[in-house]
Amino acid sequence: MKLILCMGIALLCCTAAPARAEDLAERLNRLEQAVERQSHIIEEQQKTIEQLKAGQPRRDAGEHAASGGEAAKGEELKQQVDELNDKVEQVVEAQKKELPSAFNPAIGFVGETIFGYRSKGKAETGSDRPGGFDVFQRSVEMTAAASIDPFAKGYVVVNGSADPVTGELALGVEEAALQTTSLPGNLELKGGRFFGEFGKLGYIHDHELPFVNRPLALAQYIGGEARTDGLQLNWLVPVEHYVSLTVGAGNQFGGDNPPNDVGDFRHASGVNYWSRLSSYFELTPDVSFEPGISGLWNPKTNVQGSTVGGAQSFTTSGSNTFNERERRLYGADLVLSYKPLRNNQFESVVWGNEVLYSDNRYDLTDTLSGTPAGSSTVGSIGLYSYLTWKFHRQWSTGLQYEFVENQLNKHDKTNAYSANVTWALSHWNQFRLQYTYTDPNAASGRSADNAVYLQWNWIIGSHAHGWQQR
Amino acid sequence: MRTAGSSAKPEGENTMRLKLHYLSSVAALALSFCCLAAPAQAARIRVVTTLTDLADFTREVGGDLVEVRSLATGVEDTHGVPMKPSFVPLLNRADLVVLVGLDCEHAFLPALLEASKNPRIQKGKPGYVDCSQGIVPRDVPKSTDHYQGDVHAQGNPHYTLDPVLAKTAVKNIYDALVAVDPGHKDAYTRNRAAYLARLDAKIAQWKNEARVLKGVKFVSYHEHWPYFAARFGMNYFGTIELKPGIDPTPRHIEQLTRDMIDQHVAVVVREPQFPEKVPKLIARQTGARLVTLPIMPGALPHTETYIKMMDYIVQSLVAASQGK
Repeated sequence: MKLILCMGIALLCCTAAPARAEDLAERLNRLEQAVERQSHIIEEQQKTIEQLKAGQPRRDAGEHAASGGEAAKGEELKQQVDELNDKVEQVVEAQKKELPSAFNPAIGFVGETIFGYRSKGKAETGSDRPGGFDVFQRSVEMTAAASIDPFAKGYVVVNGSADPVTGELALGVEEAALQTTSLPGNLELKGGRFFGEFGKLGYIHDHELPFVNRPLALAQYIGGEARTDGLQLNWLVPVEHYVSLTVGAGNQFGGDNPPNDVGDFRHASGVNYWSRLSSYFELTPDVSFEPGISGLWNPKTNVQGSTVGGAQSFTTSGSNTFNERERRLYGADLVLSYKPLRNNQFESVVWGNEVLYSDNRYDLTDTLSGTPAGSSTVGSIGLYSYLTWKFHRQWSTGLQYEFVENQLNKHDKTNAYSANVTWALSHWNQFRLQYTYTDPNAASGRSADNAVYLQWNWIIGSHAHGWQQR
Repeated sequence: MRTAGSSAKPEGENTMRLKLHYLSSVAALALSFCCLAAPAQAARIRVVTTLTDLADFTREVGGDLVEVRSLATGVEDTHGVPMKPSFVPLLNRADLVVLVGLDCEHAFLPALLEASKNPRIQKGKPGYVDCSQGIVPRDVPKSTDHYQGDVHAQGNPHYTLDPVLAKTAVKNIYDALVAVDPGHKDAYTRNRAAYLARLDAKIAQWKNEARVLKGVKFVSYHEHWPYFAARFGMNYFGTIELKPGIDPTPRHIEQLTRDMIDQHVAVVVREPQFPEKVPKLIARQTGARLVTLPIMPGALPHTETYIKMMDYIVQSLVAASQGK
């Protein structure tokens, strides 16, 4: 620093020699001040450099206070980041947990309780439920479904229902099937125990029906839900219009029909075969109709020459016993729908119809002598037609007419009329109040009766909006 | 005519040659038919979207290279598109199915996909385009118990009503188109850039117009608007539905009306697929403005595209908030 000062003074002396003495002194004085300022600046800068080197920024007392606050904030921020990191690590660790339920299928339960009153006893109605006041848990269904692998999915429906006589719970596997998901050629194969695709409502579970009871024709000709142990192939016909074709083969067909007597050895003729062809037409964006035809055939229901098991036999008022030899059932259905796109959840009208023709073949046996007495065919017709009107998201109402001829005796005829109101508080909680008047004819030997039902359905857990229930 | 040195071909060999000639001609003809037919088939990617906003985005990005069909026409409830069998052949032939995701379509799409028997568009396959990829969902429920109504386990799915988040859907559609048709990547990139430029300009305009909406309180019939409200600074006060998918009870309406009066809620939004009666009643009792807003392009006149729809929404809300 002194060196700079001396050099400055020497330089000044050299350059200012010609000037006057007082000017010189004044200039010298100013120069000295300038040099001192420069020296001070240089000193300051040198200090700054040293402080920076030492990693300590230069601050005055006020700045120190501010920097203290900033440092505290920094510490706080760092702590928050550390805590966040901890949380992220915890979340990541949580993902690594071994959960025994990780591979569980989607599981749901459906419950259905019926409160009823019938004006006649079961001897007069032919029902398995008593007359008068009645309360019973018609079913509790547990459904579980999941993909089996990239090529198939599986599902199981276990049903618990009250025995109509003892009231005790009876558990049964209603469905347990696998269904392919990636077959080429628009094909889908289903195998196991399932509801075979026959008719419009035949493969719909009880609690999803538009009325409390299954239509009489389906109950009698199919035996309830179209349950089978078998194999079913569905083909979506590769055209621009929707056409679906299903064929299947299985052991028994129908919930109440046990398998045919399989005996020691059964040929293919002892199995049930069914098929269904359905389509869909849109008249306007809001109005559509869906036609379908179905067929069910069991070539030899008495394959073992026995009436034990599913093959039905009965004795007429005459002297012959009818032994079912061959079972044929044909169906045609048509559903006309008005569902306005804008508020289809609040308003819709559905008119559903199905006609069935049961064409059973029987071998006759003389009841007294046991000798063959020829054969007979009983062709009987059953149908139902219903109209439902949804007029609110929670409310709908419906009317239904049914007619059925006994498949063993076509002179035994029954008409039935129903009206109901449904209140669905939500998707999972629904009440239905229904009145049904059943009017069998004299040949049936049964009496007309009035019935009132209150059905309460509920769902818990997983529920899927299936294609068939659309 | 035979020349010297030529040898007579045996009859069988000639016949064989003739057959080969015919065969090759037939093969060539078939090949040329295939060549003629193949570009016509490959020229347009068949896309089925669940909702109309996604169809609009796909048309913008895909241009003439795609054939787009939407299951919804625009007037339906986003959760309640009817499961029409006529959708099945469409899905059966689709190269891509484009969906909102976050369980928005849980009531109709899974069953339709199963019925379609099209392995290309099943969940997890490249043809299954979930536009919610990259969206951070709002209102993810702590519990999926149905006490909370028909909750969406993955969060509120109505993110496309936020135009900034809608760009994520555009990106997902772009990615899927490029993946299925990489040969036209340049065209898709150009189309996307042009559309996003238009959308960005409109977003700036909507933000400017919606400055007056900041802090404005409103209720709606269904929980459609949390993303929109967050984007434009509105205060989403509540819903007329008791819970998602559950109709309001008289008690709920009474409580909501009282709270709206206390909190000076200015606007009642009714989505057109819901009945007008209750929203109208609430608006009358509270002095709030009732405004009917689309949630999908095509729900109302002059909302045929996403941009037109957002124009309509912003302008209608601004007018309603100013008491017009």
